[in-house]
Amino acid sequence: MFNKLIDKSAAKSPWLYHINTGSCNGCDIELVACLTPRYDAERFGFKLAGSPRHADIVVVSGPITSQSKDRLVRTLAQVPEPKCVVSIGSCPQSGNVFKGSWSVEAPLENYVHVDVAVAGCTPKPEAIMEGLYKAALILQKKREAMHK
Amino acid sequence: MFDWMNILWGLFYILVFPGALFTCCVGLFLAGIDRKVIAHMQKRIGPPIVQPTYDFFKLMGKETIVPARANKLVFLGAPILGFVSLALIMLFVPIFGFTAFSGDADLIVILYLITISGVALIAGGSASGSPYAGIGISREMVTMMSYELPFVLVLLAVAKKVGGASLVFSMDAVAAWQAENTCMAFQWSMIPAAIAFLLIIPAEVGMQPFDVAEAETEICEGPLIEYSGAALGVFKLNTAMKMCIMTGLFTSLFFGGIRTGYIWLDAIVFVAISAVVTLICITTVHAVTARLKIEHLFKFFWTIVSGLAGVSLVLVWLGL
Amino acid sequence: MININYLPVLSVMLCFLAAFFIEIFGSKIAGIRRFITLVATTAVLIMTGLMFKPIMLDGGIVAYWMGNWEPVNGYAIGIGYEVDALGFAFTVLVALTCWLSSVYALGYMNRDHHMAHYDTLFLMLEGSVLGLTMTGDIFNMFVMIEIMTFASVALTAFRAKQEGALEAAFKYLVIGSIGSSLNLLGIAMLYGECHTLNMAQLSALLYGGLTPTTAFAFGAILAGFAVKAYIVPFHTPAADAYAVAPASISMVFAGMVNKAGVYGLIRMVWIVFRAMDIKTIQILLVVFGTVTMFIGVTMALAQHEFKRLLAFHSISQIGYVVTAIGLGSALGLTGGIFHAVNHTLFKGLLFLCAGAVFYATGTTNLDKLGGLSKKMPKTTFCFLIGAAAISGLPPFNGFASKWIIYQAAYEKAVESNNFLFAIVTVAGLIVSVMTLASFIKVTQAVFFGQLHEEHKDVKEAPVSMRIPMYIMSALCLCGGLFYNVVNKFFLHPAVSTTVNVEAYINRMMGDGYAAQYGVTNIAVEPAQFSFWNPLVWLALFAVVFCAAAIVILTGKRTRGKVLTPVNADPKYATFFSGEQEEFSQVGGSDLFWGFKKNWAGYYRVMTGLHSGNVNDYATYTVIAVAIIVLCMFIFMR
Repeated sequence: MFNKLIDKSAAKSPWLYHINTGSCNGCDIELVACLTPRYDAERFGFKLAGSPRHADIVVVSGPITSQSKDRLVRTLAQVPEPKCVVSIGSCPQSGNVFKGSWSVEAPLENYVHVDVAVAGCTPKPEAIMEGLYKAALILQKKREAMHK
Repeated sequence: MFDWMNILWGLFYILVFPGALFTCCVGLFLAGIDRKVIAHMQKRIGPPIVQPTYDFFKLMGKETIVPARANKLVFLGAPILGFVSLALIMLFVPIFGFTAFSGDADLIVILYLITISGVALIAGGSASGSPYAGIGISREMVTMMSYELPFVLVLLAVAKKVGGASLVFSMDAVAAWQAENTCMAFQWSMIPAAIAFLLIIPAEVGMQPFDVAEAETEICEGPLIEYSGAALGVFKLNTAMKMCIMTGLFTSLFFGGIRTGYIWLDAIVFVAISAVVTLICITTVHAVTARLKIEHLFKFFWTIVSGLAGVSLVLVWLGL
Repeated sequence: MININYLPVLSVMLCFLAAFFIEIFGSKIAGIRRFITLVATTAVLIMTGLMFKPIMLDGGIVAYWMGNWEPVNGYAIGIGYEVDALGFAFTVLVALTCWLSSVYALGYMNRDHHMAHYDTLFLMLEGSVLGLTMTGDIFNMFVMIEIMTFASVALTAFRAKQEGALEAAFKYLVIGSIGSSLNLLGIAMLYGECHTLNMAQLSALLYGGLTPTTAFAFGAILAGFAVKAYIVPFHTPAADAYAVAPASISMVFAGMVNKAGVYGLIRMVWIVFRAMDIKTIQILLVVFGTVTMFIGVTMALAQHEFKRLLAFHSISQIGYVVTAIGLGSALGLTGGIFHAVNHTLFKGLLFLCAGAVFYATGTTNLDKLGGLSKKMPKTTFCFLIGAAAISGLPPFNGFASKWIIYQAAYEKAVESNNFLFAIVTVAGLIVSVMTLASFIKVTQAVFFGQLHEEHKDVKEAPVSMRIPMYIMSALCLCGGLFYNVVNKFFLHPAVSTTVNVEAYINRMMGDGYAAQYGVTNIAVEPAQFSFWNPLVWLALFAVVFCAAAIVILTGKRTRGKVLTPVNADPKYATFFSGEQEEFSQVGGSDLFWGFKKNWAGYYRVMTGLHSGNVNDYATYTVIAVAIIVLCMFIFMR
């Protein structure tokens, strides 16, 4: 009984931790826009957490600069299981306009398994919301897999 | 030798009503209401009322990571200590006519148990070995020092009001006195104390604008920074329980005179008043204010709030 | 069977004799020296134990006239030793503290040289304080104070090469001598007025009220003992001395040397002068006590040195004791004596922990320590008990005694309708919270937090140092759990003999002597504290704990795992916003800057006053003495 409740809760209360790896700030403000009254991500239980230890979904934006790569990897390691990684915008996927720069180490897939990737420069808040919601459902699956 | 029936009833009181389970449920309910109403105040739809329950169960299902620097025993023991001390408090708070355990000095016992739960948070943060937690616990400690003074003054005022010539620290007597006379909140000399208490509640629970200790955007939730999984869940539950306890304490200190005679009806009225108190002093204040600095918080509590409580104490002392 | 009346004088003599034997036989061979010290302290403890039944349970008073010089024509001419329940309560503290300290010193002092001198001075100190608590003669008391002061001064400077040791000893010498001189002055005037030095007889003669001469003498003696108890503003040498003395001596200082002052205060105000009905004396003591506890704790918040911080807490706790004594009610006195006993236990424990930390790491600077809980788990455990006890957290002894003090203060406020006492209650609670704050800082700075590189190979303290710590921790817990037993067999007899001086006078001066002066007994009810039944509470805690454990265990499959750390894995590293630990820029050693910023003005004044200049300190002492003596004259009647 408790298992079912916990599995269900995993999808209902995903807490976000946002890592900016050198983003132009466009994706970041769109993510914040999701929390505003207009889109209100909190109705699905989304909440921004202050520490990676509290997070379920790690939201990564930006093209992963060389400076931020180690920090990103270290922080991702500190998130307890079950966790999901969501990349926002085209930068973490491909490097976008920064591709080929000596200081950019995209894509994100090289370092961690990305569960949901939201493309766009910048993606619309609706798209981000959908991505996050999908990630929440993946969370539930991961949680179910944990006790099987 | 042993009266099994009494022991079973005692266990029931401790574990179910009005102890652990009741406090948890009401606390989570109040926290849910708080989040829902604040969402509506901001023209949002907001999470469902059961959202804090979801949060709690989700955290139960996550890994609990003990950091390499942490002292494992204290790190994992602290949330449980906090939970135990909070689960005990409701036993001493009369739900109008009904008190599970009563003694001569419940008020002081409650004061101490609340302090212990604060100490548990501090001990846990301290044991996690993070410097962010170090900053957090220092702020938590200063917050505690800040609200302790007006809290004591309010309790003294109530005790003096009830006791008359002597001093009564028994919650039961406070409730009985209010049943005989009027509710404490309708005594004009006690109104400053009631306002002071309303301001103490958000600080005790750690809600804005007094959430300096757990400022999540600034010091990554301070003492809780290294907590994850079940341990974090218990701490979050503790916060919800504190909400129930503080508002319940307010209800029985200032509205203790209401009695229907049926315990279940009493309990419902009790929760309803607690919810209203939550809306007034936690939700509304949260919605309209921003976080204070720690030194402003200290000054605020030691001047304005203590002043209000002190006014009541002096008025009561003068026999008004 | 040995005659019980010989025991007090025997135990004092034993200490002094052992001191000389050590200097003669033990200066070369450490084994002999240790043997003599341990035998002496253990024997004193046993002798004290033998006196427990006749004094505490049967309510008797042990008396002994030196050289059999009994009173002639109702005048006491010889030196009398007289142990009533009050004196005995403090004797127990002395014997216990010294025994634990001597066991602790076996391990703690094994890196020091000239240990024969240490043990000699230590036994002199024990003998003098024992004599002080057991004597019935006021001049003998003064002699013992002198021995105590000089032994303490020498022990303060025992590690003379340590920075500040000689300076601290010098301050102690100056301020301590002022106190002793005041005592001597007061005693001389009393002798001139009453022609006797026996305290029992003095008590009877002074029963009718004070003349100007005796009032002046009272003021001087009161100030003299206040200096010995280190209440503010006489506290200045204490902070230095406790900080630089070896921990085994700091513990003795906090455990019994300042208790000697407290004992003297109680003996004087309650028994010899019977002044507790006088409102001026009550207010004087309560104001001094409250100021002491407040200044002590606020100064402690600003300290960065472990033992110095503990020293300021010691001062603060003595403030509680003095306040409680000054309330002038039997309940207050119960709380005062209880807190004095508890202070010996928990502060001794804390000093021993500080000593263990010093022994292991070589420093007591809070900024240089950290993360020791992994290296010294047992010391950490004992320290946490001590810290909880001094902060007044249940179920430890500090909670019980502090609660009695609050209760007594508030009852007094209601009874006398004096708002001052209500303020005292609130001040007591706030100081208690501040004490807690300060100990959280210490715990965070020393035992939790970051382990420093140079302390990587630190080891736990040896067993001989841990045993006294365990004993004191156990006593701290027992004092809180079984306070009713402590009250019945320890506190109540002490309080009841203090309030009823008739038996005390008669035992010394012969039956019927007290009645001539109109001294009669008042029945004292044992203090009732039904507020808190610790055993029930323990059961409650246990039940809830079991329930929590069951939930956790049965839910094992559903719950996420608890992962124990692997050192190299970044998953278990502390979060520094992704930064590596060694590059982290987050400070945070000064936990209370926010608090201190609010109080900046106060701290500026206070640090200015604690200038470290002995001339200033002597000035404060003289000013305070002048205030006390003036109060005696202006408000006495």
